[in-house]
Amino acid sequence: MKKKVQFLGQLAVLIAIYLVGNKVVLLTGLPVPGNVVGVVLLYALLNLGLIRLEHVQEAADFLLRHLVFFFIPVAVDLMNWGGVFYRYGLALALAIAVSTVLTFLGTGYLAQWLQKGEKTCPN
Amino acid sequence: MPQLMILFTILLTVGAYLLSKALYLRYRHPLLNIVLLGAGIIIATLLALKIPYQTYLPGRQIMTSLLGPATVGLAVPLYRHRSLLRRYAPAIVAGVGLGSLASMFVAGLIALVAGLPREVVLSVLPKSVTIPFAVEIARIHGGSPGLASAFVVATGTLGSVFGGTLLTWAGIKDPVARGLAMGTGAHGQGTAMAFMEGERQGSMAGLAMTLAGITTASIAPLMVRLLLRH
Repeated sequence: MKKKVQFLGQLAVLIAIYLVGNKVVLLTGLPVPGNVVGVVLLYALLNLGLIRLEHVQEAADFLLRHLVFFFIPVAVDLMNWGGVFYRYGLALALAIAVSTVLTFLGTGYLAQWLQKGEKTCPN
Repeated sequence: MPQLMILFTILLTVGAYLLSKALYLRYRHPLLNIVLLGAGIIIATLLALKIPYQTYLPGRQIMTSLLGPATVGLAVPLYRHRSLLRRYAPAIVAGVGLGSLASMFVAGLIALVAGLPREVVLSVLPKSVTIPFAVEIARIHGGSPGLASAFVVATGTLGSVFGGTLLTWAGIKDPVARGLAMGTGAHGQGTAMAFMEGERQGSMAGLAMTLAGITTASIAPLMVRLLLRH
């Protein structure tokens, strides 16, 4: 029982931060998503010590473990978009494949170059 | 009876999730993607029962209401790994920054040159970041959340199937660099592969995934202006 109340309390904290994130976007007109502002906000609050891990971590870990569930209803929107893949499939495949390869190589090379000389600590 | 229909669509979605998750856990093949498999089962069922998409929407709204708060929770692993974040700050900032820029610019440019409609171009821009960020970035700038989620899954599938081999072939051996590339290039799916390589790679990929989302969201407005001004 106490666990459940604690979990709901943590969930309420996450919901509140998410709502504040959306409010910030609404008030400032920033062209970024409210959930991005929410992540930055929670990270800042944790670092400032205003929120501690034990105030959010069970709820956060639970939701993140099942994050994929929430993606499924979003992907059902594809029902309306079959034609796009039929008509532009090749161009889309090219855009996704080329940009993904370049992202892997760009990030990998640059990070490896910056890591040179630094000793990677053993796990 | 709309309430019954909402209940049905939610149960259908939970069932599709559990089924595709069980299939994934059994075969663990990167091509068996839980998101696409689950959505495919739902779409096939709706089509077979002649239930229009609009009827699915009320249930979809209820189910996705926790997606935002869940996404905010991504700050928790970020905070847990804050010492890694500090130790590898130069590689993380530069690697994730360059990767996020390259991903958006190259994908957007190819889509534009190929003459794709504006809405599709805007949906392909955030293809390397995790779905909750990608759908919001697409929506804000006039893209389609559904399309964006499909492009994200396509990117993640490609990255998790070929990404490790590509990095090895390119001589990228440093575990920090490999993790950063997998998380920046292929979000959660890449992170899952990185964890199979090792703890260090996985943690770096997880950090990169969240940071790439924040970076991409921040530079998307400039990228949209650069590529699609008018």
